[in-house]
Amino acid sequence: MAEPRYEIAQTAYIKMVLHALKHKTSAVNGILLGRVSDQKDFTVVEIADSVPLFHSHLSLLPNLEISLILIEEYCEAKGLNIVGYFHGNERHDDAELGGVAKNIGDNIYRYFPQAAILLLDNKKLEALSKGKERSPVMQLYTRDASKNWKLVSSDGNGSNQLVTREPSANVVLSDYILSEKWQDIVDFDDHLDDISKDWLNPDLFK
Amino acid sequence: MLLEAKGSWSEAEKAYSSLLEENPFDQVVHKRKIAMAKAQGNITVAIELLNKYLETFMADHDAWRELAEIYVSLQMYKQAAFCYEELILSQPTNPLYHLTYADVLYTIGGQENLQTAKKYYASTIQLTGGKNRRALFGVCLCTSAISQLSKGRNKEDNGTELQSLAATALEKDYKQRAPDKLQLLTSALKSLRVSS
Repeated sequence: MAEPRYEIAQTAYIKMVLHALKHKTSAVNGILLGRVSDQKDFTVVEIADSVPLFHSHLSLLPNLEISLILIEEYCEAKGLNIVGYFHGNERHDDAELGGVAKNIGDNIYRYFPQAAILLLDNKKLEALSKGKERSPVMQLYTRDASKNWKLVSSDGNGSNQLVTREPSANVVLSDYILSEKWQDIVDFDDHLDDISKDWLNPDLFK
Repeated sequence: MLLEAKGSWSEAEKAYSSLLEENPFDQVVHKRKIAMAKAQGNITVAIELLNKYLETFMADHDAWRELAEIYVSLQMYKQAAFCYEELILSQPTNPLYHLTYADVLYTIGGQENLQTAKKYYASTIQLTGGKNRRALFGVCLCTSAISQLSKGRNKEDNGTELQSLAATALEKDYKQRAPDKLQLLTSALKSLRVSS
């Protein structure tokens, strides 16, 4: 059977990138929420929403556990699943999937076998600001049979495995970057410091 | 520093080394060298340099903090715990260090570490007058993790009082300031208590 395709909704995609842009000097991470739909020839994992998590001490367990518990409660109420993990490295030239990302990915994989890790691709993000980038500015990693996270190349057989649901996502994203929308995004770190800040970011795109 | 910003690493390195020869106790230049190593991705070199720097300048809190953060990012939790212990020794009234130390201990895991972590979360709550939400959550997590580990041993009956106090404080806080999240919080706390 073919490998599942990952379709990311515009809001989820933009939230992740804005979060990374807000905290340019640190590593950031986030959780991807969505559902699976079995279509005719292949499975599609729809990434419907994303929750930005932290921008400091990413690998410390207590904060991660609390956020996952609260997110899971939210998912249950909305009929969603935790389908993946997003990570943005601290340094611009670091394109490696680090140990922290792999560990968290492994945990998510236990509950959702088609879990994906999205790693922010800084080179593509740069190209985006020059208006030259069409595909999502992230690299997709999935788990293979030998329990390793492998990079899924986006132009392998002509079929992109990671697509944005709305083709104009990158245009909208560039718009937001220019208008510095990343100032408004709230992550779990912000929420824990001030709980009146909502990590669901409901008003971000209004 | 200009050379560093432009990315000509080796020339910046030479400039810094010559400055250090003139004045080996120049803290700023030492730290620039460490920052350069980190920016280039040589984390091991950065750690080595930081450790050497701290042997001489033991009172530099920022350096200890930086070292601790690097260790955490590399998942070297025991070394990070050591750094936080130094920080707590020198600045015992700073609640942030107690909090992060507790976080690191919880991450390392194990019955003893969880007990100690709970104590440090409690001291954070004391230092911040009960306002630090991360510490309140930490207490709940610790209590439920400890009782999971000691299932069947029937010793931890006094732990639950602290947890219910923390939970009540959290619920009050959420009710006041984030009422739409209160539902999620209550069910989350319930799942933590049920498992304890």
